[in-house]
Amino acid sequence: MSAPAKEGRVPRWLVRYASPVAVLAAWELSVRLGLVDPFLLPALSSVLLRAAEEIATGDVLFHAWLTIYRAMAGFLAATALGVTIGVLTARNRYCRWFFEPLVSVGFPMPKIAFMAIFILWFGIGDASKIVMVTLTCIFPIISATYLGCSQVDRYLVWSARNMGTSERRVLWKVVLPASLPQILNGLQIAFPSALIVTVVTEMISSGGGLGGYMILAARFALSEKVFVGVVVIAVVGYALLTVFGHVRRHILAWHAESQMAI
Amino acid sequence: MSKIEFAGVRKVFQGDTPNPVVAIDNIDLTVRQDEFVSIVGPSGCGKSTLLYLLGGFLDLSGGEIRVDGRAVTEPGPDRGIVFQHFALFPWKTVLGNVEYGLAEQGMGKAERREIAQGYIDMVKLGGFEDTFPNRLSGGMQQRVALARTLACDPDILLMDEPFGALDAQTRHILQEELLEIWSRRKKTVLFVTHDVREAVILAERCVVVTARPGRVKTEIDTSSGKADGAAIEKKAEEIWDVLREELVRT
Ligand SMILES: Nc1ncnc2c1ncn2[C@@H]1O[C@H](COP(=O)(O)OP(=O)(O)OP(=O)(O)O)[C@@H](O)[C@H]1O
Ligand SMILES: [Mg+2]
Repeated sequence: MSAPAKEGRVPRWLVRYASPVAVLAAWELSVRLGLVDPFLLPALSSVLLRAAEEIATGDVLFHAWLTIYRAMAGFLAATALGVTIGVLTARNRYCRWFFEPLVSVGFPMPKIAFMAIFILWFGIGDASKIVMVTLTCIFPIISATYLGCSQVDRYLVWSARNMGTSERRVLWKVVLPASLPQILNGLQIAFPSALIVTVVTEMISSGGGLGGYMILAARFALSEKVFVGVVVIAVVGYALLTVFGHVRRHILAWHAESQMAI
Repeated sequence: MSKIEFAGVRKVFQGDTPNPVVAIDNIDLTVRQDEFVSIVGPSGCGKSTLLYLLGGFLDLSGGEIRVDGRAVTEPGPDRGIVFQHFALFPWKTVLGNVEYGLAEQGMGKAERREIAQGYIDMVKLGGFEDTFPNRLSGGMQQRVALARTLACDPDILLMDEPFGALDAQTRHILQEELLEIWSRRKKTVLFVTHDVREAVILAERCVVVTARPGRVKTEIDTSSGKADGAAIEKKAEEIWDVLREELVRT
């Protein structure tokens, strides 16, 4: 949705893309002018050329796919588990007693500390990475779901009960739809960390993926390839977040706040 | 035969405050089958609370409420309520809101669509079927709430200032519609209002509630003289005189 630029005002696309374009231009120029060592910072143009080659051979795409797969698998598992636990915590006293202390301890903890344990338990393949992603993402999802479900307007629940919805069905008919905005907020907060953690775990333990791809390139001193990895991660992250934002806005068409730009 | 009986009904809110709030104290009231009763009283005297108790949403602190001789224990579609603040489902469209109760009762899609459309047209919201509540004005939302409750065709109608947010013309039209539905389908109606004239025009009996803690102060017969403007004004004046004593106390 781009409103026609009014006279005397800067067009939206310019505002939006000016700063990334400026940074990229500065990058290219500083290398061209010989201000930095092209080994430490290869020119943008040569990185893009290299990226084109890597894409043509399919090599980087394979690794990108591995990263996306692990991030999504871990994120979806965290969503399923996190929403369930969040709902239970909000609706059931015993679950609250059980999960609330765990969440308060676990939320601020640097979860990556568990990576060594997970490698021990699940090996160095996909499983340990996915579990790591799930563990990282689950906390914001639990707490957003809990918050959403425990703040549902009681009149909405009464309305449903009044029109014949049973006590148990209220969860599906009212509590979940009413807390959907908060739940989706939690998912949106958790989503970037899914990618971050995937890449970090790939750097720590072998098994390919963009993290592994970059670490390997660094070991062989292929600086352009390292930067190709960074560029691809940036593109993948931006694309996934954009898709996520669209899905969210579509689901929340009824919700006033979701009309705001995110 | 009595349809609804309040016997010594009492409601105390414990709340977070150190002092519990006695909202209603010792209300006795009997409503006949198919009777239209209005309830007036100062703000905060417990009118909404009374409806919520009968709706089965709140627990009693004392006394008993019986419907058809059976004690009220939980909410049910036999006692349809129009909430003071509408309580529409924001994630459902106007049509989705009005259809909700019918769908919950297992009615088929085509049939409930037709019934819902009838009530949407009745409240003059044709064309807004696919609009979400947050895009409607307060008065429009109130009309959706009205249509939603009427669509369920409950035996007992609990209405909490259902025309409060409407302009004078719409209010007048919907008052007539409500009377029409009431006389055609024979329902028992409990109607809370701030407007004593409205109480006289619609109801057969007007219950005046005291300032908090709410008790029944007086009951005034308003069943006669509906067509006569002067008689309506006189009755309204009579209710107003009783009500004024309570308003001064708050
Ligand atoms: N959940 C609650 N917790 C504590 N106090 C409450 C609660 N709900 C209502 N009350 C109190 O009970 C009293 C009656 O409230 P109620 O909403 O029934 O009044 P009302 O007659 O409907 O007023 P109005 O005409 O303004 O709608 C008020 O004094 C209010 O402060
Ligand atoms: Mg009220």
